[in-house]
Amino acid sequence: MCLIGMIFLSACEEAAIPVSGNDTPIKLDTISFPVVNAIAYQSPPEMGKTSYLYFGKEDGYVFHYSLLQFDSISVTANTPFSSFNDSLIIVDSLSLSLRFDNDSIANDERFILRYFPDGGDSVFNELESNYLNFDRSIASEVISTGRMVVDSVDTNKTEVNLRFLMDPEIINAFMDTSVLAYNRSFLVELEDESSESFYFHSIELIEGTRPELTVFYRQFASDTVVLDTSSRNYQAVADLSMITSKPITHEDSTTLSVSIAKGLKSIVYVDMDGWELPPKAIVSSAEILFNRVEADTIETYKVISHPIISEGEYGQFSTFTNDPYDEDLNYFTTTEIIDNVITINHRQAATDIGHKNYTNFGFKLQSSFNNDPFQTVRFFGLNNSDYIPFMRVIYVIP
Amino acid sequence: MLSLKKLSIFFVFIGCLSAQSIFNAYGLGLSKSIHHTSSAGVGSIGLVPTFQPGVSFDNPATWPGLNFAYVSGSYANRQIEIGDNGHTNYGNGFEKIQFVVPIKNRFAIGFSLKPVNDHNAYFKTDSTQIDFQGKALTFNKEFRSGGGIMAGSFGLALPMNNRMGIGLSFDKLFGSSQDEQSLILNSIYYRLFNIKTYSGSVFNINVAGKFYEGHTVMITGYARVSMTGNPVSSTQYQFDLFEDRNNNYSFDSDDYPENVDVDTINVSNIYAPSSFSFGLNATLNNDINIFGEFQLWNDQAINDNFSSIYTDQIGSKNHIGGGVVRFGKMGARSWQDKITMRFGIFKESYTLKNSGRKINENGISVGIGFKFAATGNQLDVAYRTGARSITNDYKETIQEFTIGLSLGDVWFLRRRTKQ
Repeated sequence: MCLIGMIFLSACEEAAIPVSGNDTPIKLDTISFPVVNAIAYQSPPEMGKTSYLYFGKEDGYVFHYSLLQFDSISVTANTPFSSFNDSLIIVDSLSLSLRFDNDSIANDERFILRYFPDGGDSVFNELESNYLNFDRSIASEVISTGRMVVDSVDTNKTEVNLRFLMDPEIINAFMDTSVLAYNRSFLVELEDESSESFYFHSIELIEGTRPELTVFYRQFASDTVVLDTSSRNYQAVADLSMITSKPITHEDSTTLSVSIAKGLKSIVYVDMDGWELPPKAIVSSAEILFNRVEADTIETYKVISHPIISEGEYGQFSTFTNDPYDEDLNYFTTTEIIDNVITINHRQAATDIGHKNYTNFGFKLQSSFNNDPFQTVRFFGLNNSDYIPFMRVIYVIP
Repeated sequence: MLSLKKLSIFFVFIGCLSAQSIFNAYGLGLSKSIHHTSSAGVGSIGLVPTFQPGVSFDNPATWPGLNFAYVSGSYANRQIEIGDNGHTNYGNGFEKIQFVVPIKNRFAIGFSLKPVNDHNAYFKTDSTQIDFQGKALTFNKEFRSGGGIMAGSFGLALPMNNRMGIGLSFDKLFGSSQDEQSLILNSIYYRLFNIKTYSGSVFNINVAGKFYEGHTVMITGYARVSMTGNPVSSTQYQFDLFEDRNNNYSFDSDDYPENVDVDTINVSNIYAPSSFSFGLNATLNNDINIFGEFQLWNDQAINDNFSSIYTDQIGSKNHIGGGVVRFGKMGARSWQDKITMRFGIFKESYTLKNSGRKINENGISVGIGFKFAATGNQLDVAYRTGARSITNDYKETIQEFTIGLSLGDVWFLRRRTKQ
């Protein structure tokens, strides 16, 4: 045993032997591809994933109204609206509240509330609805008028909420079992035009307060004996601000620009024709580099990019009523601008293109929904020879 | 306690069989010429007697000369120093485990387990730095391989006449090896693994004969012909290259791509060794033995392109060596006379199949053996040193210390008739 132990302890002290790389397998290779087509385009703003709900006007943007959809199940009791279909339950009132982004009220505007009793099971789509394709005429008459109120959270802290009170009859539409899944949606807007802007928490705001619908009710033990007076809360599951953007500038249309509120996106085509990635090779990175036009320092700003799944039109800047370029969500990337340069790594797409498993139609650039929606970021396209975007691919071949 | 013993044995077996060498990355690596400690003491390929007069544990034709049945084991500890850069590696492992039973001084049978080749390698390339379109790339490569082929052998010795004997042995070749190939790009590892299993067989015919016996000298000759029975075939499990982002050596959910495939490749005829060996031994009347040996070894495998770290592999080898052995006497009164002393020199030259480059090894060996107890137990130790180099390239300095213990017992031997 001692002998074995002694021998084992002395065993296998190994250090890698330095050798030359000649005749050894695995090699690193690189290739770069030019961006041969690039253009920006405009489509209606997609505000469904922004952190706030906007009302009023700001910097040329007009915020028309916001749409809200609430969950069918209460967060407090985990019960559906149909649970109020009970002869021993009487709904007294409903309240809808939106959390204002400030903790004080500078301009006490009045807001109005509508709902969609004839809207069927769906009224709007967070990602697709916009001011051009949404028919607001299906909304009801005004069912409530609300104002912002200051609520004390504790002795040192206050919060401001916009609150609407509704008649109990509204719940009938929510409880109607003839519609398989009622839309549970509301439309909120300023009663009068305002030159000011008002920001309220949307469901996307991290650590924000979601819009909430509260149903106040009484439950009876018999026809005359009240067992309980209580409420159930239903949180918003979708919300969207309808806005019209301010006019685009010459620079917006001649560079590769992205902006949420302006509806600006860009597409680029990287000429990878004829390239074949060796079998079993791994693409370490396939980065498309874009240089920002502005030289100023930018706060954290991220750009989302996907391959597009149809041919792009690169002739001139265009405005579309619907985004014509569907993206392949399997190849999602999000990249932050660093030192006014963005390097978008599309290695999975490049791998599949290189293996001839995927058709290269180009790539779309758009602003991340976490960015300031009103900020426009521009990158050089093909019109500045010093900063023409390109893709550099680094890959390892076994 | 039993489990602890088993665990110890397990660890010894999984331990490195050898210190690593860059030459082991060519194909299946260098084939081993020397197994038993008594042979290692003279740098012998095992043809000529080195254990006791007339007996080599590595030559079945000589086994009837044993006076007892033996269980024998040899264990080597090796140091390899690479070039002049001070890189030194150590390794160790069993060289041979053997059980031999002589029967009535005319026959013998034996079993053994021994490594056939040496596949242990670990090396890396120098870092290269390039600027690619404004991106700094620093990369190098690392390669590791280990495991190899073992031989489970059954041997049988038969008399041909009163001057010659023949030994037949069958080697079942089996085992597995693994190699890892990595490229490190800006500290990110890109790895692929190959795991291989092997199966094949080799037949050996050994002949030992007395050529001349005079008053002052006796000359004996030894020969061996090794032929491939079934060429070694292999099943290779080839894991796709992947980016080991968390550098934990295995593919997991943190790595890229999301899935890797494993290709199972069956390759036949990757290793088909054959050899012819010849040796002469002159026993002088002062107990001094002088010997010379020669071997031609050839791999006749058809599939040259079996994957290895280097795309070349060992194609042939020749060995020439000689030395002096003075055997100790079991019944000697003084302890000095019980000691067997050995000295030998050898030269081996390997030729790579594709490039034709040569790997040359020169060595010098010394060893002693000490008899103890009535049943011929013997403790052998050997020290071998030498240098190995490839044409216009790397040079290694090798030092190897081998220890062997052979325990004798009385099995199937002719016993004295009771009066």
